[in-house]
Amino acid sequence: MGKEPLGIRSFRVLTGAVLITWLILPLVPLAIWSFAKGWFYPDILPRNWSMRAWEYAMSDTAGVLDSLWLTIWISLVATILSILVGVPAGRALGMYKFRGKEIVELMILAPTIVPGIAVVLGIHSIFISMGLTNSVEGVILVHLIPTLPYMVLVMAGVFANYDPAFEAQARSLGASPLKTFWYITLPAIRPGIIVGGLFAFLVSWSQYILTLLIGGGRVETLPLLLFNFATSGRNDITGAIGMIYILPGIIILLLTAKHLSGRSGAVGGFGQI
Amino acid sequence: MRPLTRMGLFASAMALMPMMATSDTADGEALNTMSWPEIEELARGGEVNWFLWGGSDNINQYVTEYVGGILKDEYDITLNRVGLSDTVEAVNIVLGEKESGVLDNGSVDMIWINGENFRTMKQGDLAYCGYTDVLPNNALVDWNNPAIANDFGVPVEGCEVPWSKAQFAFAYDTARMDNPPRSIAELIDWVKANPGRFTYPAPPDFNGSVFVRHVFYYAAGGVDNLLGDFDQAKYDEVAAKTWDILNDLEPYLWREGATYPASISAMEQLYANSEVDLTFNYEPAGVGLNIENGTFPPTTQGYGLTDGTIGNTNYTIIPFNSPNKAAALVLQNVLLSGEAQHQKALPTVWGAAPAIEVSRTSNDVQAKFNAIEKHPNVVPAEELAKVALPELQASWISAIEKGWLENVGQ
Repeated sequence: MGKEPLGIRSFRVLTGAVLITWLILPLVPLAIWSFAKGWFYPDILPRNWSMRAWEYAMSDTAGVLDSLWLTIWISLVATILSILVGVPAGRALGMYKFRGKEIVELMILAPTIVPGIAVVLGIHSIFISMGLTNSVEGVILVHLIPTLPYMVLVMAGVFANYDPAFEAQARSLGASPLKTFWYITLPAIRPGIIVGGLFAFLVSWSQYILTLLIGGGRVETLPLLLFNFATSGRNDITGAIGMIYILPGIIILLLTAKHLSGRSGAVGGFGQI
Repeated sequence: MRPLTRMGLFASAMALMPMMATSDTADGEALNTMSWPEIEELARGGEVNWFLWGGSDNINQYVTEYVGGILKDEYDITLNRVGLSDTVEAVNIVLGEKESGVLDNGSVDMIWINGENFRTMKQGDLAYCGYTDVLPNNALVDWNNPAIANDFGVPVEGCEVPWSKAQFAFAYDTARMDNPPRSIAELIDWVKANPGRFTYPAPPDFNGSVFVRHVFYYAAGGVDNLLGDFDQAKYDEVAAKTWDILNDLEPYLWREGATYPASISAMEQLYANSEVDLTFNYEPAGVGLNIENGTFPPTTQGYGLTDGTIGNTNYTIIPFNSPNKAAALVLQNVLLSGEAQHQKALPTVWGAAPAIEVSRTSNDVQAKFNAIEKHPNVVPAEELAKVALPELQASWISAIEKGWLENVGQ
C-alpha cells in the first residue's frame, strides 16, 4: 500500500474516533449504573456503590446465566440453519435469472420491511396449529423469519460477483462436487458466510416479541429478562444484565472484524442482484 | 369375556392412563368437586407456570425463593416464574391459544392480574372459575367487602383470588420542598405556581390513568354520583369539566405539556433526576423499595390526599386451559396463607398490604403482623385507608382513557 494523503488519513482517524465514541460511550453509564446504588442529577458519579445488581444478576432467581446459555444456543442454531438455507438461495438469486425472480426477492425481503409486531399474532396461531409453540425448536424456527433476509441478501451479493468458471475447471480436472465445493466454492464465499452469519446471529440475538409469543414466555432469552428491568426503570439491574447481553456480540465482532472491512469481498455486491 | 378381549381392554386402559392423569389436573369442573387433600395429592410432584410482571428484584425473589421454596419443600411442586414486562402479554397468549383451539394444554397456569386484563379474561371466558371455596385459606378472605368482591367494578364471581391490596399515594422529596399539595385542588394551584415541575404518565398507562380519575372525581365533586353502570349523560358533563382542568394545566406541566411520560417508570426517573418534584404510584410500598434499591433519593416521603385516594385489589387468576390447575390451586392457597401474606408485608421483602383479613389468622400470625416495622418513608396503609375512594367500573375507565387521548393528549 502506498502512502495516503494527509487529508484522507486524518479523515479516517476522525471517523474511527467518532465511531468508537458512538459505540463505546453509551456503554459507560450502563457499566457505572450496574455498580451504583442511586445516581442522581447533578452528581457526575454515584455517591454510593453497590454490588447488589450484579449479585442479583448472578443469582439463581434472576436466571440470567441459564438464559445466557439458552440465548447463545438459539442464536447459534438459527445462524447455522440460516447459512444452510441462505447459501443455496443466495446462489440462485445472485447467479441465475429466472421467471418470477423479483417476486422471490420481494418475499425474502418482506420480513425486513413488514414490522414483526404486525404479523406475530398470525404467526403465533399458525405455530400453535403446528404444535411448535412453547419450545426452543419453535423459537429457533421463528427466528429464521427475520434472520434469513440478511443471510440471503449477503450471499446473493457474493454470488453476483462470483465466477462459476472456477468450479467448472475443478470439475474438469476430476474433483468431485463435494471436493469442488470444499476447495473452490467455500473459500471464495467464506467472507460472505461470516458476515451474513454475523448478521443472522445478532438479529436472532435481539429478538423480543417473536420469542415471547412463540416461546409462550417459557423460553426466556436474555432480551426478555433485560426488558423486564429496562421497562421498570431499574437502571442498576438493567446495566448488569445489559453488560452480559452485549458480551457475545462484542466477542463475535472482534473475531470477525477483519472480514467486515470495506476491502473484503463480502459486502461489495449489494447493488448488483 | 374372552381372555383376548380382556387383554385388549386392559391394554387400552393402560394406554389411556397417562392421558387421564394429565387431563385430571386440567379438568377444572372435576377439581371443583374434590376435597382439598385429593387436590394436594394430584398436585404433588407437578409444576406450575406463573406469569407475572418481572420488573422488581424484590418481588421476583419473594416469588421464586420464598413461595417457590414452600411449594418445593412441602408439595414437591416446581414453580416456574415467568417474568413479564406487561401483563397483557400473558392474556394475549391465552387468547391466542383459545382462538387456535388449545383447550386443555395451555402454557399459562396463573397470572397476576386486575382491572382491564381481568375484564378481558372474564368476558372472553378465558378464566377458570368457581373454585374459591375449595381453597382452605379462602376462609381468610372477606368476600363481603365490595373492594375484594369487585375487581375495578367487575364482579369477581369466583374467577380469581385476591393477593394484595394497594392504594394510590403521592411522594415528594423532603430535601426539595416542605409542604407538598395535599388535595387535587391544592395540586392544581401548586402546578400553576411551579411551572414545569409536575407531569403525569399518559393514559392508558395504569398509573397515569388513575391520576386522571382523581381529577375526574374532583371535577364531579365526589365519586358517589359515578358509581354503578356507565352513564353517558353524567360522563359527558364531568368529562367536559375534567378536560378543561387538565388542558388549563397543560402549559404548566413538564415541557409545557408538549409530551407526557410514556410510563410510570419514565416519570419516576424524571422525579429521581429532579426534573419534576412529585411522583405517585398505585403501590405505595414502592417508595420504600425504590429508596432501598437506589432509584429514589432517601429523602423521598410518601403521602396521601386529604380528599382521599383510590384503592384497588390485585389478584391471581388461573386460565381455563391451564394443564396444571391442581398445582395452581395449591400455589394460590399458599399465597393466601397468613405466613406468606406476612412475609410479603415486610418492608424489606415488598411491603404490600395483605388481601386477607389479618384478624382471621392465627394468634401467632397476628402477632407477627403487629410486630412489622413499617418503612418510615412509606405512608402507612391504615392512614391511606381512612380516606379510600373506590374504583369505577371498567366501562367508565376506558371511556375516560379514550376521552383523555382525544381531548387532552392529542
